[in-house]
Amino acid sequence: MRKGIVQLAAIGVVIGAALTLVAVLLQWLPTSASEEFDRIQGVYWFATIISIAIFSLVTAVVIFSVWKWRVPDDDDEDGPPIHGHTGLEILWTAVPAILVTAIGIVSAIVLARNGEAGTRPLEVQAIGQQFAWKFVYSDYEDVESGELVLPVGKEARFTMTSVDVIHSFWVPNFGQKMDAVPGIETSILVTPDRTGEFAVVCAELCGLGHATMRAKACVVTQAQFDSWIRNPRQRSCGELFET
Amino acid sequence: MTATHEAHAEVYPAHYEPPAGPTRRLLFGPGLVRGAWMAVLFFGLGTLLVCALRWWWGWDPVWNTEVVLAVGAMTMGPIGFLAGIGAFDYWLHYISGRPTRPEDHSGHGAHSWRDYFRVNTDHKVIGIQYLVTTFVFFAIGGLMAMFFRAELAQPGLQFVDSQTFNGLVSVHATLMIFLFIIPAFAGLANFAVPLMLGAPDMAFPRLNALSFWLLPIAGIMFVASFLAPGGAFGAGWTGYAPLAEGQPMGQTFFNMGVQWAGASSIMTALNFLVTIITMRAPGMTFWRMPLLVWANFTTSLLVVIATPFIAGSQFFVMFDRILHTSFFTPEGGGYVLGYQHIFWFYSHPAVYIMMLPGFGIVSEVISTMSRKPIFGYRLMALSLLGILVLGFSVWAHHMFVAGMADWLRVPMMITTLLIAVPTGIKVFSWTATLWRGRIHLTTPMLFALGFVTMFVIGGLSGIYLGSVPIDIAASDTYFIVAHIHYVLFGGSVFTIFAGIYYWFPKMTGRMYDERLGKLHFWLTFVSFNVTFFPMHYIGLRGMPRRVSDYDEAFGDVNFVITVASFALGASFIVFVYNMAVSWMRGPVAGSNPWRAHTLEWQVSSPPPIFNFDEIPQVVGGPYEYGVPGARHAVMSPAAERAEAHA
Repeated sequence: MRKGIVQLAAIGVVIGAALTLVAVLLQWLPTSASEEFDRIQGVYWFATIISIAIFSLVTAVVIFSVWKWRVPDDDDEDGPPIHGHTGLEILWTAVPAILVTAIGIVSAIVLARNGEAGTRPLEVQAIGQQFAWKFVYSDYEDVESGELVLPVGKEARFTMTSVDVIHSFWVPNFGQKMDAVPGIETSILVTPDRTGEFAVVCAELCGLGHATMRAKACVVTQAQFDSWIRNPRQRSCGELFET
Repeated sequence: MTATHEAHAEVYPAHYEPPAGPTRRLLFGPGLVRGAWMAVLFFGLGTLLVCALRWWWGWDPVWNTEVVLAVGAMTMGPIGFLAGIGAFDYWLHYISGRPTRPEDHSGHGAHSWRDYFRVNTDHKVIGIQYLVTTFVFFAIGGLMAMFFRAELAQPGLQFVDSQTFNGLVSVHATLMIFLFIIPAFAGLANFAVPLMLGAPDMAFPRLNALSFWLLPIAGIMFVASFLAPGGAFGAGWTGYAPLAEGQPMGQTFFNMGVQWAGASSIMTALNFLVTIITMRAPGMTFWRMPLLVWANFTTSLLVVIATPFIAGSQFFVMFDRILHTSFFTPEGGGYVLGYQHIFWFYSHPAVYIMMLPGFGIVSEVISTMSRKPIFGYRLMALSLLGILVLGFSVWAHHMFVAGMADWLRVPMMITTLLIAVPTGIKVFSWTATLWRGRIHLTTPMLFALGFVTMFVIGGLSGIYLGSVPIDIAASDTYFIVAHIHYVLFGGSVFTIFAGIYYWFPKMTGRMYDERLGKLHFWLTFVSFNVTFFPMHYIGLRGMPRRVSDYDEAFGDVNFVITVASFALGASFIVFVYNMAVSWMRGPVAGSNPWRAHTLEWQVSSPPPIFNFDEIPQVVGGPYEYGVPGARHAVMSPAAERAEAHA
């Protein structure tokens, strides 16, 4: 039996190693452009390690059992009458409970930190309407823009609402997402930590033009932002990088 | 029971005269012909009622297509159809004091293929009616999926416009959930549960027949929505308000179709509960019930408690649409998120409605095919109850980014993550059942093992989504699409296939072709993974779900997915061919080809019309493989007693 356990472990390690390579070599997550997403990616990797371990264990036992104990079709004997094992059953109740509690704690901490607004964040209203976004900068005399421009390193608080149906504000590289719901206000924080041009995507099915409800999001330096906000209509956000 | 029946026989003449003459019998006897003309008649009555009332109240215009459809075509018409095929005959005769025969079994059992096309009270016939019907809708839903996958093969719009695309996506999901997975399990359980309990039938056979016939009504309604002005409902199977309230008329087909499918589910669930509680054979204690029975017991509790909520949510939306109430319209004081709370209070438990019966099937298959008792039987049953209870406390994890109260997120995350514990117990117990077994790698076993591994992937991606911060990044993307297909296809559909192959010899008396079965499994398994696994990737990378067009960067992966989805569709042809040919010409299977211990295998294949010639006496657990001299039941207690005395 000891040889069997070694073989089983070997199968598990091979599966686990293969999955780890797939997880590491492919770039599964978009490049993070916000402090919030940096933290979320931490939780993601934590959950991934646990997931790879559990999947490798279960699959290894299934493959090993079939390989070791498969019998021909005409075999008519029965296996050993093992009805259970209290110790094992306690073990596989307790270990998953501990693991999910750990994921829960890490998640709750990250959620709390991602929800902590610092002093005086940049206030941006995001208003969803079939099928476009409108951004209003309340700190700058309600300047309106169809493109989102944010200064790097400065926390922004988005307050969302919708004039018709539910939309969802999402910039994949920010990792943050929140529905814009008619009749109520919702909010989310984003602290961009990387300059560049990204996409605002509507993530909630909102009707015929849902797939095309997109806008540009640019994260720029504070100086570029200051010059843009004075005259937002003159320059599209892509052009800011040229200055 | 018998005493009341005899009392009836004295009061009323013991026979009921069917209409004389073949033409009159065809037109006025219960059946599809009477169903057709009565549906039309009742539709006319409903239409007349609507127009008359509108005229009387002075509403303009008198003709309102949407209201006429809702009342005439989607309420009255189906009632006429059900009355026509004879689903209410016994009750109406009874109520009106006309002669009835409580012990009339003319509508019980199938003697020819025609008996599958009428109201039949035999649970075995109903089970097969359910399965064939649900597989027809599975095929329709699958073709829709292939159609919109063709659209998604490249970025940009090629074949369909946005409304049609949204309609295809919405009807695909609706059919798969309400017309395939939920009722396919009901069909398998209908066939197997009374047999496993040692019962002659379900507790309420006529109610059982009615439950089945509600189902095609719902299915036709969903598919027919494509013919409605403005196209099919396109607000997703979730039908979120207020989008659903501004949809064209097709949305009403969804609102009403869900009512019929839901009513069918609720009636079946009540029937299972009463059957399982009251009709167990002597000696069949709860702790001797097969796990499939346990699974359907907990599922039925979920259905009975949860399903009224989706009925309510869809009625509210329909009232907002056609009566201009404002349950979910903010302009009239409605609360938009209220819809989601009510909807998910059903639809999350519905995930377990679509999962627990599969757990039951897999427990039967793995134990039998490993020739070992199921590992930790009691904990397996208790974990089902654990999922039942926890399942009601997690609904708002669908709403982490919906803008609901912030404080609700962490508690809902904790309950969600905790469901991994009972689910984990089940997975580990299945693998422990394999351990040192004598494993027969038959087709049902392949599907069961495929299920265990694929369901683990679905469960683990569920952990990601249960964690609020990851969910904020991943919700509403293709990651969700991947997750639900690993749970509902790799999970539920694999178990449905396992169940079909496992009970096929019992249902038909014939054996399916094992080589074609294995071919079906491997084709499905591989193409399933190539179709759905890359969806995790494009979802995390930033592709939202339910889009007809997408960023160029996702073009290559989507092309691969589309090709694989066509292979997945093609693998279904192997299954249909195997089933059809084996049902007609397969080798005779014998009563117990798997040498299983549960009661359905102790009677002939297919079983006798009332299942058991003599009520069996249950004397032990259902999975005592390898225990010397152990038996689950004594099949003819009287004969054995006589033998013992002699």
